[in-house]
Amino acid sequence: MSTINFAAREINCKIVYYGPGMSGKTTNLKHVFSKVPGHLRGEMVSLATEDERTLFFDFLPLDLGTVQGFKTRFHLYTVPGQVFYNASRKLILRGVDGIVFVADSAPNRLRANAESMRNLRENLAEHGIDVRDVPIVLQVNKRDIEGALPTEMIRAVIDPKKELTLFEATAHTGGGVFETLKSVSRLVLDRLSQNK
Amino acid sequence: MIEPSLALYGDAFERVDRHLEELLGATGVRYCLLVDRKGFVLSHKEALWAPRPPALDSVATLVASNAAATAALANMLGERTFSEQIHQGEQGTLYVESVGDQALLTLIFDVSVPLGRVKVHTKKTITQVAAILAELQDAPPVQFSEDFSKGASALLDDLLG
Ligand SMILES: Nc1nc2c(ncn2[C@@H]2O[C@H](COP(=O)(O)OP(=O)(O)O)[C@@H](O)[C@H]2O)c(=O)[nH]1
Ligand SMILES: [Mg+2]
Repeated sequence: MSTINFAAREINCKIVYYGPGMSGKTTNLKHVFSKVPGHLRGEMVSLATEDERTLFFDFLPLDLGTVQGFKTRFHLYTVPGQVFYNASRKLILRGVDGIVFVADSAPNRLRANAESMRNLRENLAEHGIDVRDVPIVLQVNKRDIEGALPTEMIRAVIDPKKELTLFEATAHTGGGVFETLKSVSRLVLDRLSQNK
Repeated sequence: MIEPSLALYGDAFERVDRHLEELLGATGVRYCLLVDRKGFVLSHKEALWAPRPPALDSVATLVASNAAATAALANMLGERTFSEQIHQGEQGTLYVESVGDQALLTLIFDVSVPLGRVKVHTKKTITQVAAILAELQDAPPVQFSEDFSKGASALLDDLLG
């Protein structure tokens, strides 16, 4: 559930970008950071290795503005995608309100996409929640690369029942980044007004 | 969902605020933050003489993540928890102590302030704040109307196009 600070009249929502290593999660946040006006966002914090691989997480706070007297804020996080960082991924899922699953269109990453989704399910289950209880949006990224697999083939291994809203993206040039974020934000806020 | 939500209501919020203010006065620290385990600032106080604080959003996120990582380590080592964290630099100290399972009290102060004094006063404040947070667990959930969703939607259009 979102953190609601009633007296200070603040609502805080946590959105996590999940997915295999190198699928473009950090790139999504960098694009949002570069395009949202300075007064509506905070500093971007990246805990990364020297070669720019995410070590723990990236973090970017966004101010939506005031809704019915409540200052509403989103905290965006990415997880480290590499398999061996699972302990960190689990920690970042703590208190999550919405998830963007960033899949990679490269043919040799099809299995990594599937494994990352399975890992997400397992990690959520360890926190005692079913994937269906959290709003999740699927972003199929790197649509521009040569040999990109058909979107539906990628979806088939991640979301075979076609339950998730899907966006195609080219995050390095910003394509699909805002559409994806808007969609997941809307799902999180809708849930808030349904008191779920 | 994963974490219980923590809603600070009017009167409780003011009481927490007062306790933090007292702690600030008694210890001589620069900044005093109550952060929830998800990394959001619940309450913040700073000394009148203190320079502008760094980005509090970032401080809260890093403190909460650090605490989560430390707690995971504690579990691996068979401890229930490591309750406090102390980071000492050349000019100042960051001191973090758990307030039950829900929040973290974070103090930032200069080297001239004795850590022992800070610890003693912090223990007292934590007992007081923990009691208030415990009362709040039984508070009714906040209700939002349909209009909330509409208002939020319009703002999303403004922010994200
Ligand atoms: N061609 C292409 N490259 C991308 C795209 N999105 C991200 N990249 C690149 O993929 C690499 C990994 O991206 P990064 O965001 O660090 O991946 P992360 O591990 O998921 O955080 C970087 O070199 C990005 O510039 C895309 O849509 N198309
Ligand atoms: Mg990354």
